[in-house]
This record gives sequence, C-alpha cells and structure tokens, in this order.
Amino acid sequence: MNRRTLIRTLSGGTAGIALAGCLTQDDDENGNGNGNDTGNGEENGTDGENDTGNGEENETDGDDETTEPNLEGTLRIATYTSMVDGEEAAGTWLKDAFEEEYPDAEIDWTVPESGVNHYIQQANQGVDIDADLFFGLNVDDLVLVDGRADESLFRSVDRDALEHVDRIRDDPAVEFDDPDDRVLPYDTGYISLVYDENEVDDPETFDALTEEEYEGTLITQNAQQSDPGQAFLLWTIDAYGEDGYLDYWEELLDNDVRIIDDWSSAYSAYENEERPMVVSYSTDQVYTNRFDGDMSRSQIGFLEEQGYANPEGMAVFEDSEQVDLANAFVDFVLSNEAQAEIAVRNVQFPAVADEHVDLDESYAEYAHEPPEAVSLTYDQLSGNLDGWLDDWGQLVASR
Amino acid sequence: MTTGRPDGGSARDRGRVRVHVRVRDWLERHALGLIALLTAVVLGVMLYLPVGVVFAEAVFVDGRLSLAHFREVLTDPFYVGVLSQVFTDPLAIGSHLAALGGWILAGFPSFPLGLFGFTAYQAALSTVASLALGLPAAYVLANYEFRGRRTIRSLTILPFVLPGIMVAVGFYAMFGQAGTLNAILGVVGLGPYPFIERNPLAIVIVAHAFYNAPLVARITVAAWESVDVRALETARSLGASPRRAFVDVVVPQLLPAVTTGALLTFIFTFMTFPIVLALGGLQLATVEVWVYARIQRLAFAEAATLAILETIVSLALTYAYLRYESAQAGMSRAAAPPPRERLFPDLRTALEPWRLAIVGYGVLTLVVFVGPMVSMVIGGFTDGGGFTLRHYEFLIRRQTEGASYQTLPWPAIRNSLLFGVATLFVAMPMGVVISVVTTRSGREGGHHSGRWATIIDTLAMVPLAVSGIVFGIGLLRGLVFGIPLIGGWRLQITGVVAIVAAHAVAAYPFVTRNVSPLLADLDPALVESARSLGASRYRALLDVELPLVASGIVAGAAFTFAISIGEFSSTVILASGGETYTMPVAVERYLGRRNGPAIAMGTVLLAITGLSFVVVDRVGGRFERD
Repeated sequence: MNRRTLIRTLSGGTAGIALAGCLTQDDDENGNGNGNDTGNGEENGTDGENDTGNGEENETDGDDETTEPNLEGTLRIATYTSMVDGEEAAGTWLKDAFEEEYPDAEIDWTVPESGVNHYIQQANQGVDIDADLFFGLNVDDLVLVDGRADESLFRSVDRDALEHVDRIRDDPAVEFDDPDDRVLPYDTGYISLVYDENEVDDPETFDALTEEEYEGTLITQNAQQSDPGQAFLLWTIDAYGEDGYLDYWEELLDNDVRIIDDWSSAYSAYENEERPMVVSYSTDQVYTNRFDGDMSRSQIGFLEEQGYANPEGMAVFEDSEQVDLANAFVDFVLSNEAQAEIAVRNVQFPAVADEHVDLDESYAEYAHEPPEAVSLTYDQLSGNLDGWLDDWGQLVASR
Repeated sequence: MTTGRPDGGSARDRGRVRVHVRVRDWLERHALGLIALLTAVVLGVMLYLPVGVVFAEAVFVDGRLSLAHFREVLTDPFYVGVLSQVFTDPLAIGSHLAALGGWILAGFPSFPLGLFGFTAYQAALSTVASLALGLPAAYVLANYEFRGRRTIRSLTILPFVLPGIMVAVGFYAMFGQAGTLNAILGVVGLGPYPFIERNPLAIVIVAHAFYNAPLVARITVAAWESVDVRALETARSLGASPRRAFVDVVVPQLLPAVTTGALLTFIFTFMTFPIVLALGGLQLATVEVWVYARIQRLAFAEAATLAILETIVSLALTYAYLRYESAQAGMSRAAAPPPRERLFPDLRTALEPWRLAIVGYGVLTLVVFVGPMVSMVIGGFTDGGGFTLRHYEFLIRRQTEGASYQTLPWPAIRNSLLFGVATLFVAMPMGVVISVVTTRSGREGGHHSGRWATIIDTLAMVPLAVSGIVFGIGLLRGLVFGIPLIGGWRLQITGVVAIVAAHAVAAYPFVTRNVSPLLADLDPALVESARSLGASRYRALLDVELPLVASGIVAGAAFTFAISIGEFSSTVILASGGETYTMPVAVERYLGRRNGPAIAMGTVLLAITGLSFVVVDRVGGRFERD
C-alpha cells in the first residue's frame, strides 16, 4: 500500500471536504512511497556507490539494462515560496521544461513554512522526510543542518552522474565549501546598498557609514530572521573580523542605523522615503525597470567595491528513493537554457561559467555584479554563527 | 428518519416516536455536558498537546525535570533587567530593600528593564492608547444614531484581520515621509514630518492601538447595549445630576467589559511580534521576537522557557482580572439600553462643543484607522509610473493561468470564508459552554468552587496567553508530523478539520470573554424559575439566558469570524502542501521584491472581510433589538 498517497487522499482536502485525522504506521519497508515499493530491500547501509540499486526486477523496458538509471516517477522538491508563487516563478518553468524532457517524470513542488528547519525536525523526530531534493539552500542553512540534525540529512554529490557539474564557475560567489560536498549552487546574488542619489552620495566604505554625513540614513534588516540582514552582518564580520564587528556595530548604532524586521517592511520604509539607503540586492534596478520606478532612487552601492554573495544551492536528501531522477534534475538545472531562465526569473546570476549560459546582453544593464564577491565559508560559519547572531542581537536589543 | 405522520400512526410507530422523544430528551438533558466534553477533547488535542510538546523542552534537561533553563533566563539582566539580582539571590531581602531605598532616594532614576520589562512597558502604554482611542468610539456608537452607524460598527473589526506585514506597509504608506498624511499636509504647506523616525516607539503604540482599540470598542459597545438604564432614570428622578447618575449606574455596568478589553489588549501586545519589529526596529525587541529568533535557530528549550514565562505573566493577569470579575455579579434582569440620540439633529446642535469634540475624534480615527488601510489599498493601484491595474491583473492571471500547485486567489477566498463559517459553528458552542460552566459554578458553589471556576476560566484563556510561534511549532511537531503511539503508529491531524479546530481554539476565548460578564450579570432567579417549570438546563440557557446576552453573542461571533479570517501562523503550517491555504497565506506568498501583488491580495482580503461583516452583522442584528 502506498501510505503517502493514502494520507494525501485522506487529508489533502482537494475539494474542500476532507477527513483530517489519520493513523499511519511507520513500518520499516515503505518509508518513502513513490509508487515503487519493491526495489530496495536493504536500506542504505554505508555503501556510497550503490545508489542506483532499485528497479531491478520490475522494469518493463525489456532491454534488461539493470544499470540504466530509473527516470520515472515523482520527484518531490522542497523550496521557498517565491520559487513557486512569484510573478515569473522559476519553479513553473523548471517543472514544465523538465517534465517535457523526462516524460515519465513528474515534479511535485512543496513549500514547507519553515524551510530546511522542517526537515531537520522531521529527521530528529524520526519522521520520514517527505521530499527528495531541497532547492534553495544557503551556506548558513547547511551550517544549521549540521549543527542541529541528529543524522546526516543530505547525501554527497554523485559527480560522475552529472554531466554539467564541471560548468560551475570557480568563484567564491558560488562556492559552498562543504567538506562533504553535498550542495551544488544553481544561482547566486549579492547583497549591496540601494540608495537615493538625490539625497546621499555612495558611501563607498563601511567606515563612511559611521560618519556624521550618514547619520540616520541607513535601514537594514534583522540578521536573526532576514537573509539580506544576516548577509550584511556577515559582511561586517568579514570586514572587521570576529573581534571587531561588534565595535563597528556600536558605532553604526550610535550613528542611528535602523534595523527593521524583514526585507519587505524595510523596503517599504525606503520606498516611503523614511531614509535614503537600504540594505538590499544588487539587482534592484531590474525591478525598478519592471515597475517603472525612478532609477535615481535605485542606485547600487558596493561598499569597499564588494558585494556579499549569497549562493543558492540544491541538495539531495539522504533517504530519497529517487536519487537518479534527482540527479537528472540537478544536471538539468545546470544546463545552458535552465541557467539562463533561472537567472532571469529569479533575478539572480548563473552558477555556471559565462560560456555555458546564453544570458541576454541587456540583463547586465540593470543586474549589477560587484567588482569583488565576498562571503564567509562553511568552515568560518560552522560553530560560530549562533554566537555571532546572539551577541549581535543582544547588543542591538539592549540599547 | 421517521418524522412521524401527524396522527401518530400504528402502535409500532408510536413506540418509535417514544424512543425518538426519549433520545431527544436525553440529548437535551445532557447537551451541555456533551458539548463540554467535546470542548475538552478539542482543547486537549488541538491546544494542550501541541503546546505541551514544546513546553516540555523547557523543563526537561537530558530527560530529567530541571529548572536550569528558567534559572538562566531569570538571572540574566538582558531578560529581566534589575530583577536579575532578586532572582540570583532571592533570600538577600535586606540588600534588595536597601537597593530599592537607594533608588527612591536617588529620585527614581531610570533602570534597566530587560526584555521582559520593556515588553510589559510597551504593552501597558499600548493598552492605555487602545482604551483612549477605543472608548470614545464605544460611547459614540452606543449613544448616538447616525447614518451608517451599523456599518461602521461592523467595520470596526477590520484591522483585526489584516496581516502584520500589510499593517506595516499601510503605516509606512500613511505616516512615511512620502506618505499620505504628509501629502495632505503638503497641500496646506506643512511638512513633511518624519512621524515614524522621530519616535518609533510611539508609532508602534499607535499601530497596537490600530489593532486593539477596535477590540476595546467592540466589547464595550456590546456591554453598553446590554446596560439596564432604568436605574439611571430612578437616579435622575431622585435628583442625581446626569454625570452623577452616569458614574453611579452606567459605569459599573460597563467596567467589566472595559477591563476585559484592557486585559485582552495587554496580553496581545505583550505577545506582539511582527508589527513591533516591522515599524519599531530591533531596538524595540520584545520577548516574542526572541522566541522567534530561538525557534529559527531550533533552540527549542530556550524558546520554550521564554514562552512559558510569557504565558505565566498573561495567565496571572487573567486570573487577577477574573477574580475581580466574579466579584461583580449583578442582578440585572433585562437589558434596557439608553436610547440613542441623533448625532447631528440640526446645525445648531452640531456646533455645540461636545459635538465638535466628537467630530474631532472622528477625524482622529480617520487618520489612525482609515488612513493606513486606505493608503495600503492605494499602494495596490500604483507602481513607479503612477496608477496601474497590473497587480490586479496579476491576481486574475494567476487565477486563470496558474498551475494547481500555485497559490490561487479564488481558493484562498473560498477557504477563508468556509473556514470562517465552520469556525463559528465550533467556537460558539465551545465559548458559551465554558461561560456557562464557569459562571454557574462560580455562583452556585461556595467560596472554593468559586476559585475553581476562576481557575478553569483562566485556563480557558490559554490560547491567547500562549506564544503563537510556539503554538505553530507544536502543531507541526505534534499534529503534522504525527504523535507516536504504541506499535509504531502515528496520529496525524492536518487539513481542513485541523485548521477549523485550530481557528476555533484561537477564537472561543473571545466568545467566553464577551458572554461571561453579561451572563454573570443576569439574575439567577430567571434560570431557576425556568428550571422549576420543567425546562432542562440547556433549554433554560437557549430560551432564557442567551437571548438576554445576545449582544455579547453577536460580538463574540464577529470576533470568531475575524480571528478565523485573519489567522496566519497555524493555518500556514496546517495548510502546508495542500490546497487549504487562506487569504492571509496568499498575501504572504505573493510577497516579492515589490509589494504590489501582495497588497492587491491584501485589499481583496479587506474587501471580502468587510463585506461579510456587513452581511453577518445585518443577519446577526435580527436577533438583537435595535
């Protein structure tokens, strides 16, 4: 019996009428129902090689090629909201294009409210992980996963199974530096300042932000809960070091920086001219152009000629029974056409080198890249991030 | 079903009818007990279990009961300010008193409040502001007649359903330097004033009043419409001045409602979360902000510890209030509210100072309540180039071309309305039955049972006193992931029923709090005489008591519907992966790098809710005397 299908039928509420409660049994065999519950009897032990071990008997393709990857069934991909619900969502294009190329495959997008935390908790509670692939992982997510999950959540990349993996550019802007090599980037973006040139000049340096000229001009976001806010904090740690960043923030606070909850509220404050500078993305002008905004209020400031890179990556769950299909998807994402589509739709920059993506020339007109990309590596964040966020939060909140 | 022939038919049929009647009688006699039992089950599964799952993290350290986490928080000046010294060394009473004395001698210098202290401080200010803005509205709505009075009363609830992010957007669009208010002031050559920048705490408090003044107003109006003014007439005939008569007769009857509104406001703003950070910034962080930050880092023990302390503060206040309320039981037999005066009968009256003050208050409400909502709505019709319909085109395009796994506007609207109505059917009986149980046992029993009733009544307020973030995590870990049972089975509860139950749990305290004070005010002789004439307790409630407290029921229903429509944090968790999302969830999911599409959806949310309230109040109004 396919347990998951049953649950979905019972509780999914397709037509508004549904039964809510249900009892399920965790038996050892059919953990991840994707319609193929015979295949692998002995669950993964420690074998790294043997991940195409299912689908031996029951294939009907006649060719008897047992090493042929299994490319049919449903691939459950977890992601964040705007991937699916954004205006020009990349998720819809990816699903349609991938399913066209792999007619026996189907992508099932799922958007857990708490992102990767959802799966850390599932793993720690002994509940089946209900996704095959996570799409939209940042370096700090990986650090959180490793710090909190009782067991390994993601599997290492099977580089031999991926045709396009070598196309990924050799650049700190897209690197995850994961010691276990579990994540591959699919795009990246840069945190920068966005400012109103009618009101202020580009501050150009971190130090300038603490000077009188820039008193009461900057809005940033709460690093404890906002991606750009956290990136900005990490950027200051990169600039002033672990021992110096709190002193710098003391000065910023003395110079009346405003730290607003999330990006949307912060940008809303900026739009209503509360202040002339906001921490945001270096692609802001793409949106300003799209929504007929005023370019003079959408100037990009790269402090120290840098931007803080936030690469977005994808990783396959350890317990996935659709590893072949997941690998096919990862490879597809790194293909030329997909890289261009994702970059434009997500308004980010491709993860692959320039020669492997045909990005429209005009894209660079509004999407700016910093002269230098900085980011803290996995090793730098690991074991430190919690403490940094805590100390910073206490400093701000006790003023 | 044999709903018999008129003549009663054969003996067998008569027998069947007799059984039928007996079953019905039995049901009627035990109806209250059964509803109470169901209420207990719903609360157990949907509230105490999920919250317990998370709270347990705070009190168990390595599987053993321990208060270590609490000690850590209570001795940290960051959390509790100067009180940390007291908790560090509770027995050094002498030195604490000396410190207190030194502080008084030094002329009450300011001292570190800590996170809890600041949270309570801003909640107290917000409560005062909400009363100041809400009570005049109650006074006007209850005492004056004017065009659109009922509609305005219906719409007072609107701020309640707005997602926090939309309130922030609305406030920036209204009070920002380039906002609506400054644009209006600019016409007469004033401004622009940095309203938000100059005092972020003040704007946070105004935003709290935006949410909670309508709550105060609504509860107080309900009480005002149940006031018995015959005593007022007696007092006047005995020569009391109108002011004297008002203070002696009306005020005591309103006080329980006003205090209820203040209590609810304090609890809400004590637990405030998105709005304080979105408008005030992290410098104004509250305890709930820290709970959220801890949950995000998956530090459940610390989050749960903070959340339990929040709950203790809220419940302690509730308990104190309920002791006071139970001492206020009156002897009112029937509602005889004051007659409503015309607000502006003629030009001369309209120019009286008192009426002008009312007009002034009206302008203030336009700025504080209507302003942010209208400014938000305008934001949905503009982009960088001025007027546009593109955000609404987005909604239509998403509805017509969107894929099934995307969030579509119409299912969100439909679900919101369905869940809202379903929640009414669950929460109303729950809330009323708790009111009946607590007011009755408080009245019938002796001193001790009165205290027990208060404790039950206090516990009934747990949904409001528990951190919404903790509740959400509890639902995820308890009900969505499933509760492990013996034999490897898991009990999972998700989907429509879970959402409606969660909404009902969040909403029933409003029914209880609106109904209890009115119920306690009724003369017990009314029920006793009905009972002595053979009516079951259920009948007596339905036929005698409820009609007399109809205004409280209607107010409770309005809140219930609003809570359901506006609920976000548990809905989004229970709806994850399904097609059971609601309008606030859609608003959140449409947030992108520009706010337009989300604002358009937020406007739809406002319009649909406003419309339903006008309809609901009209329908509900039939049960009220006008």
